[in-house]
Amino acid sequence: MSSSVSSSFRLLTTRIPVPLSSTKSLFSSSSFKPTLSSPFLISKSISFQRIETRNQSRSPTSISASSSTSLQPVEELPPKLQEIVKLFQSVQEPKAKYEQLLFYGKNLKPLDAQFKTKLNKVEGCVSQVWVRAYLDNDRNVSFEADSDSVLTKGLAALLVLGLSGRPVEEVLRVSPDFAVLLGLQQSLTPSRNNGFLNMLKLMQKKALELYVEAEKGVLESAQSSEGGSVHNELQSSKLESNGDASSSNSTVVGSSSVGEGLVSKKDVKASEFPGLGSRGTRIKEKLEKELDPVELDVEDVSYQHAGHAGVRGSDGETHFNLKVVSKEFEGKSLVKRHRLIYGLLQEELQSGLHALSIVAKTPAEVGAT
Amino acid sequence: MMMMEGVALKFPPLKLFNPNFPTSPATTVTPSLARFALRSFSSSSSSCSASLPISATAGKEADSALGTLSLGHLTRPDFPILHQEVNGSKLVYLDNAATSQKPHQVLKALQSYYAGYNSNVHRGIHYLSAKATDQYELARKKVADFINAEESQEIVFTRNATEAINLVAYSWGISNLKPGDEVLLTVAEHHSAIVPWQLVAQRTGAVLRFVDLDENEVPEVEKLRESISRKTKLVVVHHVSNVLASFLPIKHIARWVHDVGGKILVDACQSVPHIVVDVQELDADFLVASSHKMCGPTGIGFLYAKSDILSAMPPFLGGGEMISDVFLDHSTYADPPSRFEAGTPAIGEAIGLGAAIDYLQGIGMQKIHDYETELANYLYESLSTIPNVRIYGPRPSEKVKRAALCSFNVEDVHPTDLATLLDQQHGVAIRSGHHCAQPLHRYLGVNASARASLHFYNTKDDVDDFINALSETVSFLNSFK
Repeated sequence: MSSSVSSSFRLLTTRIPVPLSSTKSLFSSSSFKPTLSSPFLISKSISFQRIETRNQSRSPTSISASSSTSLQPVEELPPKLQEIVKLFQSVQEPKAKYEQLLFYGKNLKPLDAQFKTKLNKVEGCVSQVWVRAYLDNDRNVSFEADSDSVLTKGLAALLVLGLSGRPVEEVLRVSPDFAVLLGLQQSLTPSRNNGFLNMLKLMQKKALELYVEAEKGVLESAQSSEGGSVHNELQSSKLESNGDASSSNSTVVGSSSVGEGLVSKKDVKASEFPGLGSRGTRIKEKLEKELDPVELDVEDVSYQHAGHAGVRGSDGETHFNLKVVSKEFEGKSLVKRHRLIYGLLQEELQSGLHALSIVAKTPAEVGAT
Repeated sequence: MMMMEGVALKFPPLKLFNPNFPTSPATTVTPSLARFALRSFSSSSSSCSASLPISATAGKEADSALGTLSLGHLTRPDFPILHQEVNGSKLVYLDNAATSQKPHQVLKALQSYYAGYNSNVHRGIHYLSAKATDQYELARKKVADFINAEESQEIVFTRNATEAINLVAYSWGISNLKPGDEVLLTVAEHHSAIVPWQLVAQRTGAVLRFVDLDENEVPEVEKLRESISRKTKLVVVHHVSNVLASFLPIKHIARWVHDVGGKILVDACQSVPHIVVDVQELDADFLVASSHKMCGPTGIGFLYAKSDILSAMPPFLGGGEMISDVFLDHSTYADPPSRFEAGTPAIGEAIGLGAAIDYLQGIGMQKIHDYETELANYLYESLSTIPNVRIYGPRPSEKVKRAALCSFNVEDVHPTDLATLLDQQHGVAIRSGHHCAQPLHRYLGVNASARASLHFYNTKDDVDDFINALSETVSFLNSFK
C-alpha cells in the first residue's frame, strides 16, 4: 500500500517538487484543491484530475506569450485594469473588440506637444508613441500618452487608464501577459516592433525613476532637518519590475555633517527594525535565521566613518557593530566565529558593506541559560 | 521536355480549359494540367500569347467569360502555402517584395537533396559528395544562364544580396577607394545598398553622394548623369525600386559611368524575380540578388561580377574552401568564385535556387513580366479609387512602366492600423513601415507607408479582395474620427 502511495504521489506532484516528508503541508496549503478525499487514498486507478492552482483558473483564449509560466492572476492587476480586461472579455466578436479599443483611444486625453520628447518616446515602434509619467500628491504614479496610430493609441489608453493613480509597486508588478486576456491577439514576443510591450516597459521604467527620485528628495530634506545623518539605502530591491531593474540603486551618499554621534532613529521607509535601513534589516534577518541567536544587536555606525575614502560614493550603510550570542558558536574559535558571520554576510560585503565590528559569544559565555 | 509540343500546337491550348470550369483553380486545375499548360505556353510565344488575353479590366468576369485562366490562376496550385486561412479568412498574400513564396518543385528539390545526397562539396571523393558537388555547381551554372553571365565563375554564392553588397564593399571598396573618391547613390536605395558604403567610406575617406527624386517621384536621371565625374568610382543603384516601383535605365547609367572609368553596382533584388535581366546587355560590373525573393529558399543569394574585376579582388571572409595553401604565417587563396565562398556553403539552398530558376524558366520571364505589368496597372488603378489615397512613385503610362507593387498612405490613417486590421479582419497580408528605405521616407516626408506587392501567382481576384478589404478598413477607421 505504502509503495503505491509513494509512487502515485510522485505522479501527482510532478510539477510541485515537494519532498514526501511534508505531504501534510502539501495538503494544507491553499494553492490547490485536493482531488482525494483522504491524503492516502491512492488505491483506485490513477485518474489524473487537473490540480487546480490559482494561476490556471483563468485560461486565456489564445496564448501567444513566449514564456511558459502561467499568467499573472487577474486579481493581482490594478483594479481599473481588471475592469478593462473583464470588459474586453465580455465582448466576443473581434470587430467589436477593436471598436472598443478605438473608442478608448479616441477618448484618451491628447498629450501636450511639449511632452513629445525623445525621452518620452517608445523606442522601436513602427508608429510613434509617447508616454509621460508623473507622481501625484500621494506619490502614486499617473500617465499620459499619445500615438499617431489609432490602434496603438487605444492600447496606450488602456494602459493609461488601467495604471494611473496607482502605487509604483503595483505598476511595476504588472506583467504584460494580461494583454492576452483582452483577446486582441496582441503578440507578447519581445521585438522592436512590439509597441504594446515596449510601451508598458517604458511606463514601468519611468514609474521607477520617478519613485527613486522622490525618495532621494525626501532623504535630502530629512538630512537637512535632522542635523544628524540618515543612512538609508532605498528599498529598490522590493521594487524590481519584471526583469528590468536597471536604475534601481540610488547613489545617496551618507552624511553632510557629522552630528553628535547619534544615529538617527528615523527612517524614510518604515522598516521592521527602527534605526536600521534595509541593509541593517537584512543583516539582522540573516543572522536571526542562520544562527538562531539568544541575543542579537545590530547597530549602524556608518556615520562615524562618513567622509573617509572607503565610504565615499556608497549608499550609507557601510559600518555596523554586531553583538551575537548563539549556540552556533560553541566549539568554535574566535576566528572561526567571525568567519562564520562574514560568510553569512558575503553578499552585503560585496555590495557596499565596508566593515563589521563583531562580538560573538555563546550563551554559556554571557552567563545566560 | 517538350515532347508534347507538336500536339499542343495543333489546337489552341486554352480549349483544354472548359469555359464552364469554375474559376477557382485551386480546386480544379491539377498541378499536372497546369504544368502541361505552362509547357505549351512557354513553347512558342506568338500563338500562345494571342490566346491568353489578360485584360486590364475586371478580373473574374473577363476571365471566365473568355474561358481563360490567368498566369496567376495557373500557377497558384503550385504554391501550397497560399491555400490556407489566417485569422478566419482566406490568406491573400501581398507582401512579395519582402519575400516570395516557393513552389512545391523547390520544396521537393530541397527534400531530395537532404534525403538523397546531402554531402559536403568540393573535397569529397565518394559518390554522394560527387553528386552534391555536381548539383551545386549546376545550380551556379543555372544562375549564370538565368542572367546571361559569360561564365559561371562570375557567380559567387552568398547568403543574400545584402551580404553580396558587403562583399563588394569590403573587398573591392576597401582596396580601391581613396580619400575624395565618390560613390553615387540615390535617396531611394535600400538600407543594404547604403549602409555598407557608409562603413567603407568612413574607413577609406571616400564620399557618398545621393541623387534626389524628380517631380514624378523617380530618381532624377539627368541629375545622376551630371553628378558622374572623374571622381566617381562607383554608382550603386536599384534596378527596380521596392517602394516607388520605378525602373532605372541601367544600360545608360552604366555607359555614363564607364566613360569616366567608374563601375556600377546594380541592386537587382526586385528585378531578377520579375523581368528578364541580362548582365551583358546591361554591361553591369556588379549585380546582386537574393534567392528568397525569386521563389527560392532563404539563406542563399549571389553576386555577379565581371571575371577580370573578380580576379583582382582580395578575399572578404577567410576560412576553408577559399584557400589554396595554408601555412602558419600566411596562406594563398583560390581563384574566384571559390575565393569568396569561405566555409561550407548553403548547398541544399543553392540547389533549391537552381530548382526555382528552372521553374521560372519553365514559365518564361517575359511571360511573367507581361502578366505582372497588367497586374501592376490593375493594382494601381484599383488603389487609386480609394479616397484620399496617395501612391508613391510614378504614374504608369505607355512610356513609364511600374512594377507590380504600390506603397501608399491614406490621409489621416496610420499605415500600421491599416496593415493590422487588414490582417486581423480580412486575412490580407501587406507591409507597413519604412520598407528598409528610411532616407526615402524622410525625403517623401512620411514616417511610414503601407505596401502591397504582387508576384506572378497573384491574380486580379487577389487585388479585388485587397481593395475591398482596404475600403472597409478605411471606413471603419474613419468612423472613429
